Amino acid sequence: MFGLIGHSTSFEDAKRKALGLGYDHIAEGDLDVWCTAPPQLVEHVKVVSAIGKTIEGAYIDSCFVPEMLSRFKTARRKVLNAMELAQKKGINITALGGFTSIIFENFNLLQNQQVRNTTLDWQRFTTGNTHTAWVICRQLEQNAPLIGIDLSKSKVAVVGATGDIGSAVCRWLTNRTGVSELLLVARQQKPLIELQSQLGGGRILSLDEALPEADIVIWVASMPKTLEIDPSKIKRPCLMIDGGYPKNLGEKFSGPGIHVLKGGIVQFFKDIGWSMMELAEMENPKREMFACFAEAMLLEFENCHTNFSWGRNNITLEKMDFIGKASERHGFSAVGLQSNIQTLTV
Amino acid sequence: MQAFASNNLTVEKEELSSDSLPDFTSESYKDAYSRINAVVIEGEQEAYSNFLDLAKLIPEHADELVRLGKMEKKHMNGFCACGRNLAVKPDMPFAKTFFSKLHNNFLEAFKVGDTTTCLLIQCILIESFAISAYHVYIRVADPFAKRITEGVVQDEYLHLNYGQEWLKANLETVKKDLMKANKENLPLIKSMLDEVSNDAEVLHMDKEELMEEFMIAYQDSLMEIGLDNREIARMALAAVI
Repeated sequence: MFGLIGHSTSFEDAKRKALGLGYDHIAEGDLDVWCTAPPQLVEHVKVVSAIGKTIEGAYIDSCFVPEMLSRFKTARRKVLNAMELAQKKGINITALGGFTSIIFENFNLLQNQQVRNTTLDWQRFTTGNTHTAWVICRQLEQNAPLIGIDLSKSKVAVVGATGDIGSAVCRWLTNRTGVSELLLVARQQKPLIELQSQLGGGRILSLDEALPEADIVIWVASMPKTLEIDPSKIKRPCLMIDGGYPKNLGEKFSGPGIHVLKGGIVQFFKDIGWSMMELAEMENPKREMFACFAEAMLLEFENCHTNFSWGRNNITLEKMDFIGKASERHGFSAVGLQSNIQTLTV
Repeated sequence: MQAFASNNLTVEKEELSSDSLPDFTSESYKDAYSRINAVVIEGEQEAYSNFLDLAKLIPEHADELVRLGKMEKKHMNGFCACGRNLAVKPDMPFAKTFFSKLHNNFLEAFKVGDTTTCLLIQCILIESFAISAYHVYIRVADPFAKRITEGVVQDEYLHLNYGQEWLKANLETVKKDLMKANKENLPLIKSMLDEVSNDAEVLHMDKEELMEEFMIAYQDSLMEIGLDNREIARMALAAVI
């Protein structure tokens, strides 16, 4: 069985969903009540892949909402309790979705392996980052030519280049895609220099320097709220792939010729009988999902019960090949222009 | 999953500081501990007595219930030692008042032979309360009490399990009574938690965490008994209104 740990995108949304599902005890509660609410296994689902393989899975809502981000201990408990529930339910491989893996990583929850009587078995969990990185690369390869960008002549800025997904994307684009130049953007210089050395190329720039040069921008660090960007300095056409969470790029950029694509989202080849992707505000919630969720499904399809994506900067090209082939074989495709691209006008 | 702007997560990392252990020798700690320790001692004492009563209600399981009761007595002695170890005199009058409403409800139910209510109060509500509090306490307890409490919490699962199994086996006939008893008694747990939350805070036990741990144990238990998500949600509602 595969598992997905997710959460609502806002407190108000969470309450609405809880009411619909019959969880009146938390639906009617204030944020303090939600902070004490246990994780809920809200849905079981059966999925048949494009090659006819059947798997079963479960969706666990951690009862975390983004409004809890300022409460460190609460956020930590929500993640650990949801993971414990997944393990207690005997789920083989569970993806940490939305803020779950971010909280896990940023607050170093590896040191909290014991949850009550349960010793968390890390092998049962995946961040899903390998699939997310592969999907972002596919989105770039498939969509850039559609808006007139020649990949072999293009400059690609990766914002958040030294992160787990960012570094994997850089390795893939360097070795497999053959873009003209990588522009490496991140907060800290030391890891940037190390990455540049590992890649054997790429130019280290600040965000302000990189944006006017880039034909394609891959954002794998969400935008600081205070960031202001002058759209007149952005090249046209420009493809922006929003691989961060939450996906808020569309609010920041506008202008003809700027195409913003939701990054790291996949579409299954047919409807899945679940309702939970509505929580994640997918455009087509019966088919679309975060690539990290799909990774848990792929690992279950492939009987690969291991923490495939785990820790930082462990994503190899071989792993991306494996998950990419599995993704295509079982019926996933990267969301692209037709359903998701936005051409924004001033 | 995806990356994230770290500035949004520079949240109160100072909160981490309350993960640290309290000063077990401070007067404020000892003062708070005098009530918390008494609550635990009284809880175990009443549990002992409740199991002996349950043995009368379910004579076919009397031996097992008496055995479970004796474990509670042993726990009580362990927690008395925890108080002595810190040179704290437990405030037993406080603890007796603290449990009085719940205990009276148990005794009333016992008098009329209401096994369902007795099991809900002792095996589900009190044991879930104890399990959750002990799990939170273990992380911030002094080394002596930590060792004692780690042993106790494992036993408490056996007590919870007894009630679960009985209620599961008889669910068809007792469901309505179970819901009614829950509606009357779950709010008491909430108010009891509120009553000791300030003292618990001094011991570095978060009220929010205590409540969440309780809800997890309580929800798991109801699920094990065979209630579905909606029924559990309806029952849990009594804890929040």
